[in-house]
Amino acid sequence: MIKSLSILVLSLCLTLNAQAANLKPFTANTPTPALKLTDLHGKTHDLHDYKGKIVLVQFWATYCGPCRKEMPSMNNMIKKMGNTPFKILAVDMGETEAEVKQFVKEVKPDFSILMDESGQSIGDWQVFAAPSNFIIDPQGNIRYTLFGGVEWDSDEIINKIKELAVN
Amino acid sequence: MNLRTLISFLVISVITTLTISNLALANEVRTIEAGDTEIDIRIFPASGNTLLLGFPCDEGKSIAEEKTAHSLSEDGIEVWMPDMLSGFMLPKVRSSLTGITTDALTALIDEATKTGKNVYLIASGPDTELVLRGASNWETLHKNTSLAGAVLMFPRLFKDTPVPGKKPEYKKIVGQTKLPILLLEGERTPNRWGINSLSHELQKNGSPVKSKIIPNVRGYFFKRQDANRSEDVVTSQMAGLIKVSLFYLQENNTHD
Repeated sequence: MIKSLSILVLSLCLTLNAQAANLKPFTANTPTPALKLTDLHGKTHDLHDYKGKIVLVQFWATYCGPCRKEMPSMNNMIKKMGNTPFKILAVDMGETEAEVKQFVKEVKPDFSILMDESGQSIGDWQVFAAPSNFIIDPQGNIRYTLFGGVEWDSDEIINKIKELAVN
Repeated sequence: MNLRTLISFLVISVITTLTISNLALANEVRTIEAGDTEIDIRIFPASGNTLLLGFPCDEGKSIAEEKTAHSLSEDGIEVWMPDMLSGFMLPKVRSSLTGITTDALTALIDEATKTGKNVYLIASGPDTELVLRGASNWETLHKNTSLAGAVLMFPRLFKDTPVPGKKPEYKKIVGQTKLPILLLEGERTPNRWGINSLSHELQKNGSPVKSKIIPNVRGYFFKRQDANRSEDVVTSQMAGLIKVSLFYLQENNTHD
Protein backbone atom coordinates (compact mmCIF):
# COMPACT_ATOMS: atom_id res chain seq x y z
CA MET A 1 0.00 0.00 0.00
CA ILE A 2 2.72 2.45 1.07
CA LYS A 3 4.75 1.49 -2.00
CA SER A 4 1.74 2.20 -4.26
CA LEU A 5 1.18 5.54 -2.61
CA SER A 6 4.86 6.46 -2.99
CA ILE A 7 4.73 5.60 -6.70
CA LEU A 8 1.56 7.68 -7.08
CA VAL A 9 3.10 10.70 -5.32
CA LEU A 10 6.33 10.35 -7.31
CA SER A 11 4.38 10.13 -10.59
CA LEU A 12 2.35 13.19 -9.63
CA CYS A 13 5.51 15.16 -8.82
CA LEU A 14 7.11 14.15 -12.11
CA THR A 15 3.95 15.10 -14.01
CA LEU A 16 3.79 18.50 -12.33
CA ASN A 17 7.48 19.08 -13.04
CA ALA A 18 7.05 18.10 -16.67
CA GLN A 19 4.07 20.44 -17.00
CA ALA A 20 6.01 23.29 -15.41
CA ALA A 21 8.74 22.95 -17.99
CA ASN A 22 6.36 22.59 -20.88
CA LEU A 23 7.43 24.41 -24.02
CA LYS A 24 4.27 24.80 -26.08
CA PRO A 25 4.62 24.44 -29.85
CA PHE A 26 3.66 27.76 -31.45
CA THR A 27 0.72 27.04 -33.71
CA ALA A 28 -0.40 30.54 -34.73
CA ASN A 29 0.18 31.03 -38.42
CA THR A 30 1.75 34.45 -37.98
CA PRO A 31 5.19 35.75 -38.93
CA THR A 32 7.72 36.52 -36.20
CA PRO A 33 7.31 40.18 -35.20
CA ALA A 34 10.25 42.54 -35.58
CA LEU A 35 12.36 43.22 -32.52
CA LYS A 36 14.92 46.00 -32.58
CA LEU A 37 15.83 47.47 -29.20
CA THR A 38 18.79 48.91 -27.33
CA ASP A 39 20.44 47.17 -24.39
CA LEU A 40 21.65 48.71 -21.14
CA HIS A 41 25.04 49.46 -22.71
CA GLY A 42 23.52 51.36 -25.63
CA LYS A 43 24.02 48.56 -28.19
CA THR A 44 21.14 47.98 -30.61
CA HIS A 45 19.99 44.38 -31.08
CA ASP A 46 17.93 43.42 -34.12
CA LEU A 47 16.42 39.93 -33.97
CA HIS A 48 16.92 39.73 -37.73
CA ASP A 49 20.70 39.82 -37.20
CA TYR A 50 20.58 36.63 -35.13
CA LYS A 51 19.38 34.41 -37.96
CA GLY A 52 21.35 31.17 -37.81
CA LYS A 53 21.09 31.10 -34.02
CA ILE A 54 18.41 29.82 -31.70
CA VAL A 55 17.09 32.81 -29.77
CA LEU A 56 15.18 32.91 -26.51
CA VAL A 57 13.17 36.15 -26.47
CA GLN A 58 11.86 36.77 -23.00
CA PHE A 59 9.54 39.56 -21.81
CA TRP A 60 10.06 40.22 -18.13
CA ALA A 61 9.90 42.90 -15.42
CA THR A 62 11.75 43.61 -12.19
CA TYR A 63 8.51 43.33 -10.16
CA CYS A 64 7.87 39.84 -11.51
CA GLY A 65 8.88 37.29 -8.86
CA PRO A 66 9.25 34.28 -11.19
CA CYS A 67 11.40 36.38 -13.57
CA ARG A 68 13.87 37.13 -10.81
CA LYS A 69 13.90 33.51 -9.65
CA GLU A 70 14.57 31.95 -13.04
CA MET A 71 17.34 34.26 -14.25
CA PRO A 72 20.20 32.29 -12.62
CA SER A 73 18.98 29.20 -14.50
CA MET A 74 19.12 31.24 -17.72
CA ASN A 75 22.76 32.04 -17.00
CA ASN A 76 23.40 28.34 -16.57
CA MET A 77 21.39 27.57 -19.69
CA ILE A 78 23.89 29.54 -21.79
CA LYS A 79 26.68 27.31 -20.48
CA LYS A 80 24.70 24.12 -21.06
CA MET A 81 23.86 25.07 -24.65
CA GLY A 82 27.60 24.62 -25.29
CA ASN A 83 28.56 25.05 -28.94
CA THR A 84 24.97 25.36 -30.16
CA PRO A 85 24.55 28.89 -31.56
CA PHE A 86 22.25 30.48 -29.00
CA LYS A 87 21.30 33.96 -27.80
CA ILE A 88 19.03 35.31 -25.07
CA LEU A 89 17.30 38.66 -25.57
CA ALA A 90 15.48 39.61 -22.39
CA VAL A 91 13.12 42.53 -23.01
CA ASP A 92 12.19 44.56 -19.96
CA MET A 93 8.49 45.49 -20.00
CA GLY A 94 8.36 49.26 -19.95
CA GLU A 95 10.40 50.12 -16.85
CA THR A 96 13.03 52.80 -16.44
CA GLU A 97 16.73 52.24 -16.94
CA ALA A 98 17.39 53.08 -13.28
CA GLU A 99 15.01 50.35 -12.08
CA VAL A 100 16.48 47.76 -14.41
CA LYS A 101 20.11 48.66 -13.64
CA GLN A 102 19.47 48.14 -9.93
CA PHE A 103 17.93 44.75 -10.67
CA VAL A 104 20.85 43.74 -12.91
CA LYS A 105 23.28 44.69 -10.15
CA GLU A 106 21.52 42.28 -7.81
CA VAL A 107 20.65 39.37 -10.13
CA LYS A 108 23.65 39.59 -12.53
CA PRO A 109 22.21 38.18 -15.78
CA ASP A 110 24.87 37.05 -18.30
CA PHE A 111 22.69 37.96 -21.28
CA SER A 112 21.42 41.04 -23.11
CA ILE A 113 18.78 43.07 -21.32
CA LEU A 114 16.85 45.15 -23.84
CA MET A 115 14.89 48.24 -22.87
CA ASP A 116 11.41 49.01 -24.19
CA GLU A 117 10.12 51.95 -22.18
CA SER A 118 7.36 52.67 -24.72
CA GLY A 119 6.05 49.09 -24.66
CA GLN A 120 5.93 48.94 -28.46
CA SER A 121 7.40 45.44 -28.73
CA ILE A 122 5.12 44.16 -25.96
CA GLY A 123 2.13 44.98 -28.16
CA ASP A 124 3.77 43.69 -31.33
CA TRP A 125 4.54 40.34 -29.69
CA GLN A 126 1.11 40.08 -28.01
CA VAL A 127 2.45 39.74 -24.50
CA PHE A 128 -0.08 39.97 -21.68
CA ALA A 129 1.73 38.31 -18.79
CA ALA A 130 5.25 37.94 -17.43
CA PRO A 131 7.48 36.14 -17.97
CA SER A 132 6.43 35.38 -21.54
CA ASN A 133 8.97 33.44 -23.60
CA PHE A 134 9.45 32.72 -27.28
CA ILE A 135 11.94 30.25 -28.72
CA ILE A 136 13.00 31.28 -32.22
CA ASP A 137 14.66 28.72 -34.50
CA PRO A 138 17.76 29.50 -36.64
CA GLN A 139 15.46 30.34 -39.58
CA GLY A 140 13.79 33.07 -37.52
CA ASN A 141 10.48 31.31 -36.85
CA ILE A 142 8.78 31.12 -33.46
CA ARG A 143 8.76 27.42 -32.56
CA TYR A 144 7.79 27.35 -28.90
CA THR A 145 6.27 29.65 -26.32
CA LEU A 146 6.28 29.35 -22.57
CA PHE A 147 4.50 31.37 -19.91
CA GLY A 148 5.70 31.44 -16.32
CA GLY A 149 8.94 30.78 -14.51
CA VAL A 150 10.87 27.57 -15.16
CA GLU A 151 14.33 26.11 -14.62
CA TRP A 152 15.77 26.88 -18.01
CA ASP A 153 18.82 24.70 -17.42
CA SER A 154 16.80 21.49 -17.05
CA ASP A 155 17.96 18.72 -19.41
CA GLU A 156 14.44 18.42 -20.78
CA ILE A 157 14.37 22.03 -21.97
CA ILE A 158 17.99 22.14 -23.13
CA ASN A 159 17.58 18.97 -25.24
CA LYS A 160 14.34 20.18 -26.80
CA ILE A 161 15.86 23.54 -27.74
CA LYS A 162 19.09 21.99 -29.06
CA GLU A 163 16.97 19.88 -31.42
CA LEU A 164 16.04 23.07 -33.26
CA ALA A 165 19.67 23.52 -34.34
CA VAL A 166 19.74 20.23 -36.26
CA ASN A 167 16.20 20.35 -37.74
CA MET B 1 0.57 32.68 32.75
CA ASN B 2 2.63 30.45 30.45
CA LEU B 3 3.75 31.51 26.97
CA ARG B 4 1.04 29.52 25.17
CA THR B 5 -1.74 31.11 27.24
CA LEU B 6 -0.24 34.55 26.70
CA ILE B 7 -0.08 34.06 22.91
CA SER B 8 -3.68 32.78 22.84
CA PHE B 9 -4.79 35.79 24.86
CA LEU B 10 -3.00 38.19 22.52
CA VAL B 11 -4.44 36.53 19.38
CA ILE B 12 -7.99 36.65 20.79
CA SER B 13 -7.52 40.31 21.81
CA VAL B 14 -6.31 41.30 18.34
CA ILE B 15 -9.17 39.43 16.60
CA THR B 16 -11.73 40.97 18.96
CA THR B 17 -10.32 44.47 18.42
CA LEU B 18 -10.33 44.06 14.64
CA THR B 19 -13.88 42.70 14.65
CA ILE B 20 -15.18 45.52 16.83
CA SER B 21 -13.40 48.17 14.77
CA ASN B 22 -14.81 46.67 11.54
CA LEU B 23 -18.36 46.65 12.86
CA ALA B 24 -17.89 50.20 14.05
CA LEU B 25 -17.03 51.39 10.55
CA ALA B 26 -20.26 50.27 8.88
CA ASN B 27 -23.17 52.37 10.12
CA GLU B 28 -25.77 49.78 9.21
CA VAL B 29 -25.95 46.13 8.24
CA ARG B 30 -29.04 45.29 6.23
CA THR B 31 -30.07 41.80 5.19
CA ILE B 32 -31.87 41.46 1.91
CA GLU B 33 -33.37 38.52 0.07
CA ALA B 34 -31.37 38.04 -3.09
CA GLY B 35 -32.48 35.19 -5.30
CA ASP B 36 -32.47 32.03 -3.21
CA THR B 37 -30.41 33.41 -0.39
CA GLU B 38 -30.08 36.24 2.11
CA ILE B 39 -27.16 38.63 1.88
CA ASP B 40 -25.86 41.00 4.51
CA ILE B 41 -24.96 44.42 3.17
CA ARG B 42 -22.69 46.75 5.11
CA ILE B 43 -24.11 50.18 4.42
CA PHE B 44 -22.19 53.43 4.77
CA PRO B 45 -25.03 55.93 4.32
CA ALA B 46 -24.73 59.39 2.85
CA SER B 47 -27.12 62.11 1.81
CA GLY B 48 -25.75 62.62 -1.72
CA ASN B 49 -27.39 61.19 -4.82
CA THR B 50 -24.57 58.75 -5.63
CA LEU B 51 -24.53 55.15 -4.45
CA LEU B 52 -21.52 52.89 -4.92
CA LEU B 53 -22.33 49.19 -4.81
CA GLY B 54 -19.20 47.10 -4.30
CA PHE B 55 -18.75 43.36 -4.64
CA PRO B 56 -15.84 42.46 -2.39
CA CYS B 57 -15.59 38.68 -2.05
CA ASP B 58 -14.07 39.05 1.35
CA GLU B 59 -16.35 37.35 3.89
CA GLY B 60 -16.82 40.78 5.43
CA LYS B 61 -13.13 41.37 6.17
CA SER B 62 -11.98 44.07 3.77
CA ILE B 63 -10.30 46.52 6.10
CA ALA B 64 -8.87 48.89 3.45
CA GLU B 65 -12.14 48.84 1.50
CA GLU B 66 -14.20 49.58 4.62
CA LYS B 67 -12.03 52.55 5.54
CA THR B 68 -12.44 53.82 2.00
CA ALA B 69 -16.20 53.30 2.17
CA HIS B 70 -16.36 55.22 5.43
CA SER B 71 -14.36 58.07 3.95
CA LEU B 72 -16.57 58.18 0.83
CA SER B 73 -19.74 58.28 2.92
CA GLU B 74 -18.34 61.26 4.83
CA ASP B 75 -17.96 62.95 1.45
CA GLY B 76 -21.60 62.30 0.52
CA ILE B 77 -21.23 59.07 -1.46
CA GLU B 78 -23.28 56.19 -0.08
CA VAL B 79 -21.50 52.83 -0.19
CA TRP B 80 -23.00 49.35 -0.02
CA MET B 81 -20.76 46.34 0.52
CA PRO B 82 -22.67 43.08 0.28
CA ASP B 83 -20.98 40.01 1.76
CA MET B 84 -21.37 37.75 -1.26
CA LEU B 85 -19.36 34.76 -0.05
CA SER B 86 -21.11 34.36 3.29
CA GLY B 87 -24.48 34.72 1.57
CA PHE B 88 -23.73 31.58 -0.40
CA MET B 89 -21.59 29.94 2.29
CA LEU B 90 -18.62 29.89 -0.07
CA PRO B 91 -14.90 29.86 0.81
CA LYS B 92 -12.60 32.71 -0.23
CA VAL B 93 -11.22 31.04 -3.35
CA ARG B 94 -11.43 32.13 -6.97
CA SER B 95 -13.69 29.24 -8.00
CA SER B 96 -16.34 30.51 -5.55
CA LEU B 97 -17.29 33.23 -8.04
CA THR B 98 -19.24 30.70 -10.10
CA GLY B 99 -21.29 29.84 -7.00
CA ILE B 100 -22.63 33.39 -6.74
CA THR B 101 -25.83 33.48 -8.74
CA THR B 102 -26.65 36.16 -11.29
CA ASP B 103 -30.14 36.40 -9.72
CA ALA B 104 -28.58 37.44 -6.40
CA LEU B 105 -26.38 40.06 -8.09
CA THR B 106 -29.39 41.42 -9.96
CA ALA B 107 -31.47 41.56 -6.79
CA LEU B 108 -28.76 43.58 -5.08
CA ILE B 109 -28.60 46.05 -7.96
CA ASP B 110 -32.42 46.28 -7.88
CA GLU B 111 -32.31 47.07 -4.19
CA ALA B 112 -29.70 49.77 -4.77
CA THR B 113 -31.70 51.40 -7.58
CA LYS B 114 -34.78 51.59 -5.31
CA THR B 115 -32.98 54.35 -3.40
CA GLY B 116 -33.40 56.58 -6.46
CA LYS B 117 -29.69 57.42 -6.40
CA ASN B 118 -27.27 57.12 -9.30
CA VAL B 119 -25.88 53.62 -8.88
CA TYR B 120 -22.26 52.83 -9.70
CA LEU B 121 -20.79 49.34 -9.35
CA ILE B 122 -17.25 48.57 -8.24
CA ALA B 123 -15.09 45.46 -7.81
CA SER B 124 -11.47 44.41 -8.09
CA GLY B 125 -9.50 41.49 -9.56
CA PRO B 126 -11.53 38.44 -10.56
CA ASP B 127 -14.55 39.81 -8.64
CA THR B 128 -15.03 42.26 -11.53
CA GLU B 129 -16.78 39.38 -13.29
CA LEU B 130 -19.64 39.79 -10.79
CA VAL B 131 -20.13 43.43 -11.79
CA LEU B 132 -20.36 42.51 -15.46
CA ARG B 133 -22.66 39.56 -14.81
CA GLY B 134 -25.00 41.54 -12.55
CA ALA B 135 -25.07 44.60 -14.82
CA SER B 136 -25.69 42.60 -17.98
CA ASN B 137 -28.64 40.75 -16.50
CA TRP B 138 -30.04 43.88 -14.87
CA GLU B 139 -29.88 45.72 -18.21
CA THR B 140 -31.78 42.88 -19.87
CA LEU B 141 -34.55 43.20 -17.29
CA HIS B 142 -34.66 47.02 -17.29
CA LYS B 143 -34.56 48.19 -20.88
CA ASN B 144 -35.65 51.78 -20.26
CA THR B 145 -33.32 52.74 -17.46
CA SER B 146 -29.61 52.42 -16.84
CA LEU B 147 -26.98 52.22 -14.17
CA ALA B 148 -24.55 55.11 -13.90
CA GLY B 149 -21.37 53.12 -14.51
CA ALA B 150 -18.77 50.73 -13.12
CA VAL B 151 -15.24 50.98 -11.82
CA LEU B 152 -13.20 47.83 -12.46
CA MET B 153 -9.97 47.83 -10.45
CA PHE B 154 -7.26 45.48 -11.73
CA PRO B 155 -9.78 43.44 -13.70
CA ARG B 156 -8.69 39.82 -14.12
CA LEU B 157 -11.04 38.58 -16.80
CA PHE B 158 -8.93 36.19 -18.89
CA LYS B 159 -10.67 32.93 -19.68
CA ASP B 160 -7.33 31.11 -19.29
CA THR B 161 -3.71 32.12 -18.83
CA PRO B 162 -2.80 34.04 -21.97
CA VAL B 163 -0.51 32.24 -24.41
CA PRO B 164 2.47 34.38 -25.48
CA GLY B 165 2.02 35.57 -29.05
CA LYS B 166 -1.73 35.04 -29.17
CA LYS B 167 -4.67 37.34 -28.53
CA PRO B 168 -6.03 36.57 -25.07
CA GLU B 169 -9.48 35.05 -24.65
CA TYR B 170 -11.75 36.67 -22.12
CA LYS B 171 -14.60 35.33 -20.01
CA LYS B 172 -17.89 35.09 -21.85
CA ILE B 173 -19.45 37.93 -19.87
CA VAL B 174 -16.89 40.44 -21.17
CA GLY B 175 -18.55 42.66 -23.77
CA GLN B 176 -22.14 41.83 -22.75
CA THR B 177 -23.08 45.11 -21.07
CA LYS B 178 -23.67 48.71 -22.16
CA LEU B 179 -22.51 50.09 -18.84
CA PRO B 180 -20.01 52.99 -18.92
CA ILE B 181 -16.81 51.49 -17.52
CA LEU B 182 -13.63 52.90 -16.02
CA LEU B 183 -10.68 50.51 -15.78
CA LEU B 184 -7.96 51.09 -13.20
CA GLU B 185 -4.73 49.16 -13.52
CA GLY B 186 -1.41 49.31 -11.67
CA GLU B 187 1.68 50.45 -13.54
CA ARG B 188 3.78 47.67 -12.08
CA THR B 189 1.88 44.68 -13.40
CA PRO B 190 2.08 42.99 -16.81
CA ASN B 191 -1.71 43.36 -17.01
CA ARG B 192 -1.27 47.05 -17.81
CA TRP B 193 -0.16 45.98 -21.28
CA GLY B 194 -3.47 44.20 -21.80
CA ILE B 195 -5.63 47.17 -20.90
CA ASN B 196 -6.25 48.24 -24.50
CA SER B 197 -7.16 44.72 -25.54
CA LEU B 198 -9.58 44.38 -22.62
CA SER B 199 -11.09 47.84 -23.28
CA HIS B 200 -11.73 46.81 -26.87
CA GLU B 201 -13.51 43.61 -25.78
CA LEU B 202 -15.60 45.42 -23.17
CA GLN B 203 -16.82 47.90 -25.78
CA LYS B 204 -18.36 45.19 -27.96
CA ASN B 205 -21.93 45.70 -26.70
CA GLY B 206 -21.68 49.48 -26.61
CA SER B 207 -19.99 50.18 -23.28
CA PRO B 208 -18.01 53.42 -23.30
CA VAL B 209 -14.72 52.38 -21.68
CA LYS B 210 -11.92 54.51 -20.30
CA SER B 211 -8.78 53.31 -18.58
CA LYS B 212 -6.27 54.85 -16.20
CA ILE B 213 -2.90 53.54 -15.01
CA ILE B 214 -2.04 54.13 -11.36
CA PRO B 215 1.69 54.96 -11.18
CA ASN B 216 4.12 52.89 -9.10
CA VAL B 217 1.70 50.30 -7.77
CA ARG B 218 1.22 46.60 -8.36
CA GLY B 219 -2.12 44.88 -8.79
CA TYR B 220 -4.16 44.30 -5.59
CA PHE B 221 -1.88 46.83 -3.87
CA PHE B 222 -4.39 47.54 -1.11
CA LYS B 223 -4.51 43.87 -0.11
CA ARG B 224 -0.74 43.29 -0.07
CA GLN B 225 1.20 42.41 3.08
CA ASP B 226 4.43 43.61 1.42
CA ALA B 227 3.07 46.96 0.20
CA ASN B 228 5.76 49.52 -0.65
CA ARG B 229 5.60 53.22 0.14
CA SER B 230 3.80 54.18 -3.08
CA GLU B 231 1.22 51.45 -2.51
CA ASP B 232 0.66 52.55 1.09
CA VAL B 233 0.13 56.13 -0.06
CA VAL B 234 -2.35 55.17 -2.79
CA THR B 235 -4.21 52.87 -0.39
CA SER B 236 -4.59 55.74 2.06
CA GLN B 237 -5.94 57.91 -0.79
CA MET B 238 -8.24 55.29 -2.28
CA ALA B 239 -11.40 57.30 -1.58
CA GLY B 240 -9.95 60.13 -3.68
CA LEU B 241 -9.04 57.69 -6.42
CA ILE B 242 -12.61 56.38 -6.54
CA LYS B 243 -14.07 59.90 -6.53
CA VAL B 244 -11.90 60.77 -9.53
CA SER B 245 -13.06 57.56 -11.21
CA LEU B 246 -16.70 58.48 -10.66
CA PHE B 247 -15.94 61.92 -12.05
CA TYR B 248 -14.64 60.35 -15.27
CA LEU B 249 -17.77 58.21 -15.53
CA GLN B 250 -20.05 61.21 -14.86
CA GLU B 251 -18.20 63.14 -17.53
CA ASN B 252 -18.95 60.32 -19.92
CA ASN B 253 -22.66 60.39 -19.02
CA THR B 254 -22.78 64.17 -19.49
CA HIS B 255 -21.23 63.93 -22.94
CA ASP B 256 -23.73 61.26 -23.98
